[in-house]
Amino acid sequence: MTVLTRLREVAVVRRNNRSDFMLFGTMLLLSGFGLLMIYSATRSTGTFSMERQMIFVAAGFLIYLVASNVDYREYKGMVPMAAVITLLALIAVFAFEPVNGARRWIPLGILKLQPAEFAKVVVIVVLAGLLAPSNRDEPAPRNLPWSKIGQATLVVAVPSILIYLEPDLGTAIVFGFILFAMVFLAGASWRQMVGMLAAAVAGVVAIFRFNLLDQYQMNRLRVLWNPTIDPSGIGYNLKQSKSAIGSGQLFGQGLFKEGTLTDFEYVPEQETDFIFTAVAEQLGFVGGIIVLAAFAVIVWRLLVIAANARDRFGALVAAGIGAMVMCHVFINVGMTIGIMPVTGLPLPLLSQGGSFFMSMALALGIANSIWLMRTPVPGENQLT
Amino acid sequence: MKFAVRLSFLGLAFVTMFSVLGLRLWFVQVASGPAIARAAEEQTWLSEASQAPRGDIYDRNGTLLATSRLVPAVYIDRTFVLPEERFGLVQNLASLLAIDPDELDAMYEEAGINGRFEVATVSSETAFRVIERLGGLPGVEVVKVPERVYLSGPTLAHVIGHLGLPDQADLDQRPDLDPAVRIGKLGVEKTYDELLQGVPGIVEYRVRRSQVIDQRAAADPVQGRSIELTLDLDLQQVTELALEEGIALSNTVKERDRRNGEDVFSVTSRAAAVVLDAKTFEVLALSSVPDFDPQVFVAGIDTATFDALNEAKAFNNLAISGLYPPASTFKAITYTVIEEESLPLPEEIEGIDAANRMVHCDGELVLPELADGSAQIKKDWYYPGVIGWLDIHGALERSCNIFFWSAGLGTWQAYRGSLRENVIQEWAKSVGYGAVTGIDLSNEADGVVPTRELFEDWAEFQEENPDQPPRLDPARLELGSPWVGGDLMDFAIGQGAFTSTPLQVAVSYAALVNGGSVLEPRVVRRVLDNTGETVEEIESEVVRQVDISEETRQALLRDLNRVVTSGTAEAAFVDFGPGLELIGGKTGTGQTSANRDNHAWFVGLAPIDDPQYVVAVVIEEGGSGGRIAAPVARHILQYIMGNEPTPIVAGDKAD
Repeated sequence: MTVLTRLREVAVVRRNNRSDFMLFGTMLLLSGFGLLMIYSATRSTGTFSMERQMIFVAAGFLIYLVASNVDYREYKGMVPMAAVITLLALIAVFAFEPVNGARRWIPLGILKLQPAEFAKVVVIVVLAGLLAPSNRDEPAPRNLPWSKIGQATLVVAVPSILIYLEPDLGTAIVFGFILFAMVFLAGASWRQMVGMLAAAVAGVVAIFRFNLLDQYQMNRLRVLWNPTIDPSGIGYNLKQSKSAIGSGQLFGQGLFKEGTLTDFEYVPEQETDFIFTAVAEQLGFVGGIIVLAAFAVIVWRLLVIAANARDRFGALVAAGIGAMVMCHVFINVGMTIGIMPVTGLPLPLLSQGGSFFMSMALALGIANSIWLMRTPVPGENQLT
Repeated sequence: MKFAVRLSFLGLAFVTMFSVLGLRLWFVQVASGPAIARAAEEQTWLSEASQAPRGDIYDRNGTLLATSRLVPAVYIDRTFVLPEERFGLVQNLASLLAIDPDELDAMYEEAGINGRFEVATVSSETAFRVIERLGGLPGVEVVKVPERVYLSGPTLAHVIGHLGLPDQADLDQRPDLDPAVRIGKLGVEKTYDELLQGVPGIVEYRVRRSQVIDQRAAADPVQGRSIELTLDLDLQQVTELALEEGIALSNTVKERDRRNGEDVFSVTSRAAAVVLDAKTFEVLALSSVPDFDPQVFVAGIDTATFDALNEAKAFNNLAISGLYPPASTFKAITYTVIEEESLPLPEEIEGIDAANRMVHCDGELVLPELADGSAQIKKDWYYPGVIGWLDIHGALERSCNIFFWSAGLGTWQAYRGSLRENVIQEWAKSVGYGAVTGIDLSNEADGVVPTRELFEDWAEFQEENPDQPPRLDPARLELGSPWVGGDLMDFAIGQGAFTSTPLQVAVSYAALVNGGSVLEPRVVRRVLDNTGETVEEIESEVVRQVDISEETRQALLRDLNRVVTSGTAEAAFVDFGPGLELIGGKTGTGQTSANRDNHAWFVGLAPIDDPQYVVAVVIEEGGSGGRIAAPVARHILQYIMGNEPTPIVAGDKAD
């Protein structure tokens, strides 16, 4: 019954506010474009990969619709349960056979569920709940207490360590980025930011010092500075990707053109982590910039939503999602053009893969819900 | 700071991050794009070497000995194998080719990412079976590659050699080698490898999902040069069979000796022979037993076969690397030195007439008393027989050790401590002993020509390195000098620490009988292109010219003829047939140690008036030279001189 009441309440709100159509439109465009690119990268084996991705896209939009219509403030209450489920799922991956040496997945028929992808959204919500004033009448503190920062770090650290063990270095880095962005927004002082940065640097130093990185992770970092050390092994992805992107030049080789490196499938993982390579080779600098611009629109809309959210919780969630998208785009695209290490982070909405697409759809749905709810109920202050 | 301001800061950071990506994208695609694009276009072309057929090998009469044919080979190109397909591919292909899947998997691993490697050359039947199943074997190709075919079997194994994949040492030495292409590992296949190898062609092609969509031949393979050997296949076969019969004869005689209660220490199994042109130093036959069929290396030799052959020393070319004391065959050299240098015989020793240069060959040489009062007695090989008084001519004919010992002792007494002390050794070195002859085959041994200096070096080394195996009897280290007169006496009869290869013995005889010319012997006379046209004639390099008077040379030839007509090889040559007056030779029986059988030697010459052929034969631990080696050489000489070769039966027991 409560669900029905909620829906009715939402319906009332919807009369007043409209969805963020620019966000939705960009999401729609990128998803469709992603299907096209996946086809271009895998067409030698037919349309199977694209068709499977279409199912995920359809499921994603359903999730987006439902999430848009749920009052995001409900999530505060769901936090403990969602956190427990997420942690259990993150532990559960270790029970399954590794793929390419990593245990990141729970096989569920057509979908290989990757709990880490959903964990990102859960962590954003948990952090927002922790960092936003719990009582809306309570004025925002001038500075964030250190204890909050400690708790926030703990919230991020627990799933990060589990994910790091899978191993999945990229996702662990994304968590760090989200934490920084959200703690900053929540009012951390410069000293606190510098302190956290120092701790992070110390952590990185410790990782190198005590060899906590696997050899392959170290090599991926070394290859970044010197791709010639192993052109056929670890440097191979990087070299092939840069060759393909470089040969795209200003206007690209042309979509579906034969004889490109994408057509020859010379770039490993070109339908998943290296999908941007297929874009940039076939559609050139112009195509690449348009895709980056589309992501810029999404990030911009998320920040606008954060600025207009009715409460600090919503603002932090929206901004956290923005940070997540930004981090993914920067690391993923940066990796294909040789300024970031090869970490295996997908490009949001474009890369083939079910878990991350649905997780992104959920995140954008929540953001849309924050947008829809932005008009405060009389008596409430915006940005309490 | 207000939330909105903080949000703006975050926005600013995001704008910066997008800008970095955009700028970098501009740099990669627009600023350096054209250069990368050109490289990328080339990158879609894969290139692959197509093997060049090796050059052919002919004997001196144009008989084809080794050639190449195209055979199917199975390759795996890892570019086309997905990681999950690897296990199935290895299992299926291994069972099709009947090879060990673990071995195939190891080869697969070694080839590396995107590597392409030859799994095996296969019969056309197997090739068809693989081709039928190519659909289920990702990355597998069946291509034609040139394969060596040896037509003469084991007969010329040591001269022709064999092929094998280059090892690390080869790759270090010749960095341009393709590690997947076989190179010569022995014989002329090795020494002339760069000529025979040819130039590999290059095929470039573009592949899209296992389909070759485009192909271009960047360079055609160029067949290697062919070579013509100096050897005569027919003579080589006669020589090889004669050695095998000689080994059989030796074992028959040993069996008889054993029944008669004589000491026999081993079963004879090894022998070598060289037939050398005394003027051009072309090797006409060069045989080493046991041998092997070079064809076993073509398809890949299995460990058990290799180990068995290696254990039998079948890969050793004894004719150039087997070291034996030249024994009495060396008396022809000592003979020449005595005549040319007028070496004195010792005075005041019973049985030696220094003035008339005669020696009483009565089986025993009693030397003057030593410091401890004892007399030293050296027994000759025919002891307790007595021959009588002999001059140098008779001494060579009858291989009288006492005469040549006397010459050694006379030299010792006359020149001890002076530069002339080494006069016999200097002659030995000048006609080719103690150093490689320079033949165009690998692994040639140099041998040892012992001198006072060498023994003193050895003694010093032995004192400083007591952990190394000793070369000299420790008792010698107690003497004033480790080199004593007895050593020079033994050297004069080709014994003691003196070692030589059969080829060195043949070269030294060639030099003595051709008037003193020492050349580098060789087994290749011409290099041909693939139409059969001569590209290069190879002539032997002159190493040095030794002065030998015509008088001495004629006397030596006359005496060497007497060896086969009335001397130590008389019995072995009794069946020679017409033309025995044109044959010369010298027997030799090399002593190694007290509990080893003697090495049987014979060096033959023909025609004796102007020798062209030198035939050197050694049967390792075969027994007496006159008995075992002389009949083998006689058999070869009969063939050379156009007589019907008669069976190899035992001659007289003589050094």
